[in-house]
Amino acid sequence: MNSGIGLIVWIIAYPFVSFFLGVLLGGYGRKLTARVQRRVGPTWIQPLFDVIKLMTKQTNISHGYMHDVAMMMLVGGTLMTMYFVPVPGFHYFSQFGDYIVVMYLLLVPPLGMALGVGQTANPNGSIGISRALQMLAGYEITLVMTFIGFAMKHGTTSMYELMKLQQAGGPATWGIFAEPLLGIAALFALQGMLNEKPFEVIIAPHEIATGPMTEMGGKYLGMMFIQHLIALPMELTIFMNLFLGGAQSWVEYVVKLFVLFTLVLVVNAVYGRFKTDGALRFFWKLPLPLAALGVVMIMANGM
Amino acid sequence: MYTQALLLLPLVGFGVAFLLQGTVKRSPAIVKTWAMLGFAAIAAVAALAGAEIGTLYEGPTVFGSVLTYGLTDLSWWFVLLIAGITALTTVFTLGSLRYADDYPMYYAWLFAKVFGMIGLVMSRDLLSFFIMWEIMSWATYLVMQQGRDESRKAAQGYLVYAISAGMILLGGVVFLRTASGSFEFAVITKFVAGADLGVIITAIVLVLVPFLIEAAVYPTHGWLPSAYASSETTMTAYLSSISTRMGLFGLILFVFNVFGLDVIDRIGISAHLNLRTLLLVLAALTAVLPTYTALFQHDAKRLLTWHSIGQGGYMLLGLATASTLGTAGGLMHIFNYMTYVALIIFSIAAVEYRTGTTNLNKLGGLITRQPVAFLGMLFGIIGLAGIPPMNGFVSKWFIYRSLILGGYPFVALAAFIATVGTIMSVYKLIHNTFLGQLPERYNEVREVGWVMQLPIWVLMAVVFATGVFPGTILQWIARIQVELGIAPIAYTLGGVAQEAGDLNMMVITLVFTLTFIVGAVIFFMGGKRRIVSQYDNYAAGHFLNKDVPYNFNYNFYSAFDHIFEKLYHAAPVQSTERNLGRLVATVGEYIRRFFTGQINTYAAYYVAAVIIALAFLKEVL
Amino acid sequence: MSDKELTQRSAWETVLASLKKRSLWMLHYCTGCGAVELPPTMTSRFDMERFGIMPMVTPRQADILLITGYLSVKTLKRVILIYEQMQAPKYVVGFGSCTINGGMYWNSYATMKSLDRYLPVELYLAGCMPRPEAIISGFNSLIDRIDRGEANSWKDYYENYEFYRKNQEHTFGDIETHRSIADDAQYYGFVEVTK
Repeated sequence: MNSGIGLIVWIIAYPFVSFFLGVLLGGYGRKLTARVQRRVGPTWIQPLFDVIKLMTKQTNISHGYMHDVAMMMLVGGTLMTMYFVPVPGFHYFSQFGDYIVVMYLLLVPPLGMALGVGQTANPNGSIGISRALQMLAGYEITLVMTFIGFAMKHGTTSMYELMKLQQAGGPATWGIFAEPLLGIAALFALQGMLNEKPFEVIIAPHEIATGPMTEMGGKYLGMMFIQHLIALPMELTIFMNLFLGGAQSWVEYVVKLFVLFTLVLVVNAVYGRFKTDGALRFFWKLPLPLAALGVVMIMANGM
Repeated sequence: MYTQALLLLPLVGFGVAFLLQGTVKRSPAIVKTWAMLGFAAIAAVAALAGAEIGTLYEGPTVFGSVLTYGLTDLSWWFVLLIAGITALTTVFTLGSLRYADDYPMYYAWLFAKVFGMIGLVMSRDLLSFFIMWEIMSWATYLVMQQGRDESRKAAQGYLVYAISAGMILLGGVVFLRTASGSFEFAVITKFVAGADLGVIITAIVLVLVPFLIEAAVYPTHGWLPSAYASSETTMTAYLSSISTRMGLFGLILFVFNVFGLDVIDRIGISAHLNLRTLLLVLAALTAVLPTYTALFQHDAKRLLTWHSIGQGGYMLLGLATASTLGTAGGLMHIFNYMTYVALIIFSIAAVEYRTGTTNLNKLGGLITRQPVAFLGMLFGIIGLAGIPPMNGFVSKWFIYRSLILGGYPFVALAAFIATVGTIMSVYKLIHNTFLGQLPERYNEVREVGWVMQLPIWVLMAVVFATGVFPGTILQWIARIQVELGIAPIAYTLGGVAQEAGDLNMMVITLVFTLTFIVGAVIFFMGGKRRIVSQYDNYAAGHFLNKDVPYNFNYNFYSAFDHIFEKLYHAAPVQSTERNLGRLVATVGEYIRRFFTGQINTYAAYYVAAVIIALAFLKEVL
Repeated sequence: MSDKELTQRSAWETVLASLKKRSLWMLHYCTGCGAVELPPTMTSRFDMERFGIMPMVTPRQADILLITGYLSVKTLKRVILIYEQMQAPKYVVGFGSCTINGGMYWNSYATMKSLDRYLPVELYLAGCMPRPEAIISGFNSLIDRIDRGEANSWKDYYENYEFYRKNQEHTFGDIETHRSIADDAQYYGFVEVTK
């Protein structure tokens, strides 16, 4: 699938596959949360209904051209990042960009959103963005620390190489088992990256009226949903590739996705929300030192 | 021939601009045209001078030693950067410099500064290097102190540092001259290679510390923010983009060429704990601390000047690894930073030109009024934050990769922490200027004229093109690396060759273009949309109008403010710098009392001086 | 509204309606006592997310505007602003007898007796106050109406804006929502373009 016709077919099909996976995961998330709260919950493809409803709204308001372009940048940027994250049988683009590239590509959609939200001229939105950027200093730094440790240990910054090395060594060399300190730190970071409780400070519906989404309605909100649904499997895949040895087959891939997401969701379902500075302090007190300790141990072993 | 012209042209330019200062008030167009012609000529000559690389020229004899100058790959690169950015700045000032009567010597000092900088990078022996260094420092001071009162005060702060740097460098020059017996670089290289450790340490400390001061490396960065921020805005762009990098040029020249890496690496306890490790740590601090200080600024110019320090930290990080990737990143970052910081500050200047302020708490919502300035700043901040596909990303990628694979995990982490801070502060910058609610008083603001738009468009194209095709810059970098004795980077047009890592900006940009089109298709598949007024906005049922301030820009990062407030306000370096500035002002005040302006006082001084001199002479004779 | 519009739908619209009815987001404007009936409706006892109905925070995101309880002159103004900020198709649901006829506050000087003079109401939930079962049942009938393509009251606001505007102005004087409904109606093609 990494050359010729197969490649082209994959490039075209992959967004749809990813969106479909995202819908399933999103629906599963809502169903599971409902179950934890002893509710029945919506159907498994509820996100699809939401997206269709939003995209077919008959009136839409915009606050200017940046607001429009931001939505294209949001979806476009996420789709782009998705191509650079290797999944089973499809890693053509990882030769053009390693994990450092992916890390930065991941910032393109939020940047687009931030600009669009800025133009909506709503302080709730601006506060949401301000919080989102501040949270970067929490989870993103932790995630980077764990990645630096791995890259140093294996002598490569390519996500595909790291994945291959773990697959060759078997489950014992999976990041989360070989370097548990880094793995645990990264799990915290994942929770923050997916913006789930207790780090759900960006949306905070009761506080800042869903922050960035405040002025988004109709197709604008629809595109944010589409972006979220594509980004969901992608972000889980990044964690999987670094710490769970990636996946060799699609069955393994989907199983790992759902297991990992379940872990995130159950934490999300039972916790309240930190304040922004509380979340930052938490990241700097526990996960980041854990990751740093893990890196020190890798260095000590290497000497 | 071109090499001499490079030195002569700024001198001629200075002379004429100096003579023209009287005409500035009546017809500013004359001096502006002269400056434009002069700097365009310098840029053209600089481009042609590449043919003369390697040829050594002899200048006048000073202290019995001939001053030599000539171009190398490294210095030609810097000459091009200087000439290019000066020409663009001048184009911008054609439109923006309205208060010509406040700045009668604006272009004259600029010519002087260009002379100093070009002379510095072209000097091929220690003495001419020092002379040019001093000329450059004084020209920088003169450039800074023009215009307002605060500029003069802030420039005094720079002067303290510049003079101490100059003194230390003088010490270094004298030391090396006495020890090696020559001003020539080649002789010094040979001497240092055979010298014992004490001599080397003395030489390195005396020579490198001034460069660190000029490059505003932590903890000697205190002079920079106020000095740059209180200059005229275009001059802020100019100073931030190239002036600070002269220190870095000195560092590169002396570390890699004059002393040599082997000598530098002899200072240290082990392979991992040596002078370069110290430099890395300093660079990491330089990258992190000023970047986070930038978060708390309320003035657009001041915010960016803190980044001038922080991004200098990145360059030093890359260079201090002394690896192929790292030096490529560091060298490239000098160019990249120059392009996008000039772009951002030009945009700010365009805003200031129309609104008269750079206060981030007062601006807002100007995107609909000044879309070109907005685009300029957008391209610039994407570059500054190091997000693909702009050029800032490429150099940062090099630096990260070299740090991670070179075995400096915590320094790499520091670099990333600084990046997060950069992203935060640049968003604050663009949000508070162009996004959010448009205050009613800026309803009539218009875009600036095409003369001022031109540099913005040019720089936007450069920032984007060199991001998509980094190979165009890397071919220069590779040549410089060969000259510095480092294995050259294996580059392709779109990034680096496979053996050096996975990066191809062309593919990334292509994918982004296509996926962006997909996003656009999805967008246009949705229903019709209508642009509404900014007052048609969710406010929990409250009716908004122009009298209701409904904007979030003050104290933008409140959580950070909450956590770091105390730390920021107790910054020891800041207070030291303030105290130094005060000291200079006090001393200056006492010195000033000698000059009463009355002729009989001066006559008394003269008589006293003669008596003392006679007494002294009698003693001697 | 003509009969033609109600009955003649393309196959695509029929399919779309059956999909769109599965996702309805609700903005609850809780001024009165009725708000207390909503938590059980949302949470584990009655769980309205089964039907794809979720509470949302801002008018931009919402499809249903649920108005619980009485409306005073002051609050009705806000409700109108919020309604105009919502994106079509949008459905106003009047909850409790207060929205129908003033309920137990019928003789107050400050309450608005009848909501549908000011906004096009899609559905009333009668009762003082309606229990969660009634709310769920009401939403189900709304879902059915959407499915059949009959829930078109929101178009009435565009088509007969003069009527609503007249009543609004009669009560409040001039109100500025920074939006011209008549322009919007022409822009989006809800009414014939008049030249």
